[in-house]
Amino acid sequence: MAGLATAFGSGAMTNSIPEIEDAECILVTGSNTTENHPMIGSRILRAKEKGKKLIVVEPRRIHLAQFADIHARPRLGTDLAWINGLINIIFAEGWEDAEYIAARTEGVERLREKVAEYPPERVEAITGIDREMLHEMARLYATADRAAIVYAMGITQHTGGTDNVLALANLAMVTGNVGKRSAGVNPLRGQNNVQGACDMGGLPNVLTGYQSVTDPAVRKKFEQAWGLRSGLPAKPGLTVVEMANAAAEGAIKGMYVMAENPILSDPDANHTREALENLEFLVVQDIFLTETAQLADVVLPGSSFVERDGTVTSTDRSVQRMRKVIDPPGEARADWEIICEIARRCGGQGFRYASPGDVFAEMARLTPIYGGMSYERLENEWLRWPCRSADDPGTEFMHKDRFSRGKGVFTPVDYREPAEEPDEAYPFMLTTGRIMFHYHTGAQTRRSPSLEREVSENYVELNPQDAHGLGVHPGELIAVASRRGSIQVKAALTPTVPKGVVFIPFHFAESAANALTNRALDPVSKIPEFKVCAVSVARLVTL
Amino acid sequence: MKVSKEVRDIAEEILRQGQVGGVLGLSSEHGHVGPHLFSSTDDLGTLVLEPRYMLAKVCRMILADFPGERLGVVARGCDERALIEMAKLGQVDLSRLDLIGVACSEAQARECACPHPYPRRIDVGEPVQGVAFADTECAQQASEQDLVARQAFWTHAFSRCIKCYGCRNVCPVCICAECSLEDASWVARGKISPEISFHLIRAFHVADKCVGCGACDAACPVDIPLTRLYAQMREKMKEMFGYEIGLDVTNKSPLTTTLEEAPLHGL
Amino acid sequence: MDYRTVLTTCPYCGSGCGMYLPVLNGKLGEPIPAKTHPLSQGRLCIKGWSAHEHVASHDRLTKPLVKTGSGFKETTWDEALDLVVTRLLELRDRHGPDSLAFLVSAKCTNEENYLQQKLARAVFGTNNVDHCARL
Repeated sequence: MAGLATAFGSGAMTNSIPEIEDAECILVTGSNTTENHPMIGSRILRAKEKGKKLIVVEPRRIHLAQFADIHARPRLGTDLAWINGLINIIFAEGWEDAEYIAARTEGVERLREKVAEYPPERVEAITGIDREMLHEMARLYATADRAAIVYAMGITQHTGGTDNVLALANLAMVTGNVGKRSAGVNPLRGQNNVQGACDMGGLPNVLTGYQSVTDPAVRKKFEQAWGLRSGLPAKPGLTVVEMANAAAEGAIKGMYVMAENPILSDPDANHTREALENLEFLVVQDIFLTETAQLADVVLPGSSFVERDGTVTSTDRSVQRMRKVIDPPGEARADWEIICEIARRCGGQGFRYASPGDVFAEMARLTPIYGGMSYERLENEWLRWPCRSADDPGTEFMHKDRFSRGKGVFTPVDYREPAEEPDEAYPFMLTTGRIMFHYHTGAQTRRSPSLEREVSENYVELNPQDAHGLGVHPGELIAVASRRGSIQVKAALTPTVPKGVVFIPFHFAESAANALTNRALDPVSKIPEFKVCAVSVARLVTL
Repeated sequence: MKVSKEVRDIAEEILRQGQVGGVLGLSSEHGHVGPHLFSSTDDLGTLVLEPRYMLAKVCRMILADFPGERLGVVARGCDERALIEMAKLGQVDLSRLDLIGVACSEAQARECACPHPYPRRIDVGEPVQGVAFADTECAQQASEQDLVARQAFWTHAFSRCIKCYGCRNVCPVCICAECSLEDASWVARGKISPEISFHLIRAFHVADKCVGCGACDAACPVDIPLTRLYAQMREKMKEMFGYEIGLDVTNKSPLTTTLEEAPLHGL
Repeated sequence: MDYRTVLTTCPYCGSGCGMYLPVLNGKLGEPIPAKTHPLSQGRLCIKGWSAHEHVASHDRLTKPLVKTGSGFKETTWDEALDLVVTRLLELRDRHGPDSLAFLVSAKCTNEENYLQQKLARAVFGTNNVDHCARL
């Protein structure tokens, strides 16, 4: 999200989900939308049925690709080159929106110079995308009246992830596609409340609503509202991968983990495990004894999504109610009650709430983008942030007449190679992701019989030509190894993956893809490079 | 609005008489509409009639869990036909149900291409003419497109399928305890789009049961016009066997009876 | 006769699909997609349709656990919370607030996330707060 915040002043889907089906052209990249955001994928398919254009840029032949007007398959980790290449063609052909650029943006000259370094022949050499195809992509996207970009972790989970997002923002602004209906730059968030967890200040550098911890006026507002005698910390904290590093080094001694499973979700699982084992004290609050909870000193039983009240914020900024349906099992408690109880026992002031509605009201008072929301309004209205006052109807698409930061800023960015490239010892590139039938670390879905029936064990997608070269048969158990670890996993031979690339879902603890992945981080967003690392693939027995 | 008032009045009446444990209908709360069991007259103020949900499957679950009780249900033509088909399969006991029969409007009938847009006994609303098969999109497609074009149309539609099982889950007549769609010997697991067998099995399984309620169409995330496919099967059942689905509980499906009992006509 | 439906939001991806969860005779049933929902329009994917299944899993934690030499042992809330509070305060006092770290959750509510970061910042004095947004 750091990229969009730099470009527009605010990091979230610029447009809303229903608008997507009326975009004249949709550019999907780094998102296996029909599998991982099926109800957004369905909007894209519907747009296609209405005769709109669809461009899919994705190394794997994902389900959505068969419906695309153009499916470009760049080499892993080369996204920045094709995005800059598109902008270069757009300038060369005069397809940019000059009026919009002049009125609403700044820094176009530097961008023009930078993208001139990406002529089609160079882009083709880096990405493998044919130059004529690239030209046609530029034409479809730039000449459409309303063009929407949809992306997900395939763009961000790289050491150059923030730059990729900045480049997509450049592409959208050059063509005047930010601030209008059915257009925009739309990151799809992977979990039911990942947007909300960010909005609520669940990040090391900001309090709620992206108010910076380094801003003294912000801290003062919160100190007063929370009745604190001592000041709030001013120095940004550590991100999750940095926390693991600090724990391994002994700088972090205690952790309180609520409903997260870093052992499976974080890169380089062996390292994460060592880090958590090195802690003096670990408390995990969850509904299952997850791989992470197994390492805890204390495990607190929390509640599932049907066992407490609250709100969540979807990827398009819609704030919705979660409602309690049944009581938690046994002595399990609502998570909000557990946190308040811990705070009170620590002598914390201001942790007495009658209900989640009271918590929401306090949060909304302190958070301008949620300032106009309340449980009362959410009962009958559909509200997307920003929603600043009681009579503010919320925001369907953002940056309509001006950007959150005033003018949109172009940031020229350069292609860099991934942190790890294939070599003789590790000749394949591994990319990881999710599949239709499971979700994240599988804590919930692997305990759902209907989902487990569809897919109950891990697999590695391997191109049939590569398999032939290695002598690997369909369904054979093979070894996949990186510099960090190795797993045994069943081979699924499929042209879905290009030659030289393997794909492994990360839902499966028994052969965890993240034992292999690299914890190299994007320098700004601190996102790890899950989407490309070097691995070897080998048969377990040679007959 | 007048129609929902009339339905409320009847629901209030049967609740007051104490003949049923509750009345199943639709309720509007939090700005949304969903199925609701009205168990006292106090909450009838939220009763509405649209958007339509298929309530027959909910009836079946409630009746099964509360064996001693009677249930009221706001029922349109398709709800009643679904209940009749379920009764034929021993899934519901119609004598334990009090139907508040609602006739659909002409616009609603057209929207669903419904052949019988009203239940046998109409308590609220006026019956309108059903849509003849010849006037449906299904029939038009059959007359305008040749087999190759139709196959291309359906292959394309099925290729969008993301295997949510929504069509099966909402279907009032898909009631098997063990479902062939989940059987790996019929449909490979864990693959999208699923093989065409997924859709053909469903089409054949509902051929003699589909009441044309449209619930599968409405639940399909990728807009596959399933009722168009099933309508064709239904029409074949009528042509070949003179069999009409959902009208009479004593009229059993020719596909489940022996040839002696129901000789094949027209073959 | 006990049958009710409660409108809520799917717990899986970030699309925010709307579903009614039915409770029949005290037992949670299969979701009913909410037709009036502007995002999901009465549709769900297979994960949404199965969203209720993990809730009734036999693996659910029902009591606080503490680790002993021979593995986990069930304990009371009082004992578990006392231990958590004592140990976290002790580490903070001995090594400073930044020796602690807190993970909020993309699977919890806004209210829970707000409270967890408030606990980290206001009670323990650290900005070491994050979650799996990047993962």
